[in-house]
Amino acid sequence: MKLKGFWRQNSTFVVLMVLLILLIPLGWITMGQKPFVRTVLSGLTLGALYLMVAAGLTLIFGLMDVLNFAHGAMFMIGAYAGWQFYTNPTFLFGLAPLVFALMTGLAATPLLRPLVIGWPVPEEWQRRLRTFLILLAIAVGVIGVLGLDLRDLAKTAMVSTMVAANPLAEATPQEPLARFWLRPTLLLIAGLLMALAQARPGDQTQIVHRAEQRRGWIALLALLALTVAAVLVREPAAIVVLKMNANWRFALALLVGMLIGGGIGAVMETSLVRPLYVRPFYLVIATSGLAFVLKEVVQFLWDPLPYQMERPPLFAQPGKADSILDWFSAQTTTVDILGVTFPSYRLFIIVLGIVMLLGLLGLMRYTRLGMIIRAGVQDREMVEALGINVRRVFTLVFAMGVGLAALGGIGAAPFIPVEPVMGDRFLMQGFITVVLGGMGSVSGAAVGALLLGLARAFGDYLALKFQLTPAISEASTVIIMAIVLLVRPSGLFGKKE
Amino acid sequence: MEMDQQPTTDILTVETIHTYIGQFHILEGVSLRVRRGGVTVLLGRNGAGKTTTLKSILGLTPPRQGQVILDGQEIQGKRAFEIAGLGIGYVPEHRAIFRDLSVAENLKIAERRKGDLERRADFIFDLFPDLKRLYKLPGHHLSGGQQQMLAVARALVADNKLLLIDEPSEGLAPVLIEQMMEAIRELSATTTVLLVEQNFIMASQLGEHYYIIDDGRTAHDGAMADLIHDTALIRRYLGASAARVGGEFAARSEQRRGG
Repeated sequence: MKLKGFWRQNSTFVVLMVLLILLIPLGWITMGQKPFVRTVLSGLTLGALYLMVAAGLTLIFGLMDVLNFAHGAMFMIGAYAGWQFYTNPTFLFGLAPLVFALMTGLAATPLLRPLVIGWPVPEEWQRRLRTFLILLAIAVGVIGVLGLDLRDLAKTAMVSTMVAANPLAEATPQEPLARFWLRPTLLLIAGLLMALAQARPGDQTQIVHRAEQRRGWIALLALLALTVAAVLVREPAAIVVLKMNANWRFALALLVGMLIGGGIGAVMETSLVRPLYVRPFYLVIATSGLAFVLKEVVQFLWDPLPYQMERPPLFAQPGKADSILDWFSAQTTTVDILGVTFPSYRLFIIVLGIVMLLGLLGLMRYTRLGMIIRAGVQDREMVEALGINVRRVFTLVFAMGVGLAALGGIGAAPFIPVEPVMGDRFLMQGFITVVLGGMGSVSGAAVGALLLGLARAFGDYLALKFQLTPAISEASTVIIMAIVLLVRPSGLFGKKE
Repeated sequence: MEMDQQPTTDILTVETIHTYIGQFHILEGVSLRVRRGGVTVLLGRNGAGKTTTLKSILGLTPPRQGQVILDGQEIQGKRAFEIAGLGIGYVPEHRAIFRDLSVAENLKIAERRKGDLERRADFIFDLFPDLKRLYKLPGHHLSGGQQQMLAVARALVADNKLLLIDEPSEGLAPVLIEQMMEAIRELSATTTVLLVEQNFIMASQLGEHYYIIDDGRTAHDGAMADLIHDTALIRRYLGASAARVGGEFAARSEQRRGG
């Protein structure tokens, strides 16, 4: 009876694993050891990248029924953020004070609410007042950034990538602090005006929570401190980061890019996505629209050119290590694995993918948040009825999903060109992965990513060997998806149809 | 009515609420009062608006007009998680447990404060001893009856002063209905229950007070003891089979009194 239950739960997984294991000797014999190992490793690298995009997509779709067409753009933004931070973070540090200032203002919302709730604003004027406040906030914000030369800041990393110059010499002189401090101040005011609009003056149907107030103060003070710090260190911080050990700088770039992605995800959910949950079709338009806007912004800042981000020194010493152990001391570009010379950085991508997968599975399995997500995928209404703020969970999951896509982008930046359209391919494959694995299932996305990555790699191999068009490897993923959907319409591990 | 003289004993007051789902005007003025302690039953045909009434109280389908007052506090317009947090437990129809979560997780997720489950575990396993045995199993391994027990148990984890229970007997075997009835009777000794129930046997044995919802309005209310004698009223709002059950009950209680 126990065995039967295990079989019913895991049959898909077992069948797939047995199939893959049977295919290994077949491939090994027919292809020969070297091509086989090389193809498998390429497949795993691709699979790891697909997973980083698909993990967020599947969670966001599973929990919120949102098809996030901006996910590829988030992958791209992550790559740009990581590339900037690693090559020359002047741009990021120059922008940080403004972003933090705006957030500080917005964080005042729960604190303003009890003050303005009793304002004598007649009901028909409340909406108009809010619109006016938001327009005013936008005007103040625009004045705040007027004349700030974003493109000059953006150029720093561009130049150091293209001419391989010393990035320290390229740190563009910035506005003197005596003039610059006005900008964050104006943005703080803009944020406060927006917070005022969000606090809905005169709307007495709102509830004021004590706990929210306390948290509000903590958030406000923390952000204020962060803003002041960001204003003061915006020039020296860039230099400190550049003087840092490049391997640490790269690790930090992964973290920073992920946080930037998470922040963008949180803002995107609360502003763009939340009002449209009831109109799913508009969401498709809104998210794909956002993707276009982000691509244009990136093109404006860095020109529509492909950049090649430098690999961190850990993976950049010339030569070949005889084994992975050997690589730890030699830190070479390539490693010998079962007779195949393979780029060490790609191994890092595989490891990054596995670490991310384990972390995500652990989160889903052992934390309260994971439990709430799994429950919410099935029945959001009931989760809310238990007294859980599902809206906040939505924001968190959206931020997490976008953060993971951004992480994938930075991971990919050192070995695929950093360019505005780099995310589009991954978005498509990410969607196929999600459909293949079943909406809302992390392990499904992992298996789907593995299958797709291998299919692409073996498709490329076959196309090369038999002189077929390379389109065959791209078609293979769609064919796999079609077959799986015929057999299991909800995907391999699908929870919902 | 005597209820009017003691308004302070009401834990929940619903005052002419109007609820829309999309374009449809589902509730057109439902009013009810739930007295503290015991079981109040909502009766009515399929589609009369009983489930929507529960969901409107909880804010899952917020009413557009009217008031919902819990313990003297107006709660209409608040969000569902806030209302639930004030101490309302909800057992939806169709045994809506989380199928991918284990029994333990299904209970754990209902905690509002750390340690809620440990505090209430003995009480819950006393009511539903089966759940202790099934504790580690995933929800979709449970039978229909076990799932329904779990759905009720989940509403007991947090400290709730009011339970909204929707059709707990639906699709259960007669033995299990008995067990469920016993459990609800037992837990109504410590909390207040507002019960939606189509099964007239169960409803009439558990409820002290009843409301009949018809076409989105409160059509009738009173003491359950009076209703089971009023075959005409039952037939009019609840159908012939319920009337038969009511008639049998009435006859049996007459007999008992006579014998």
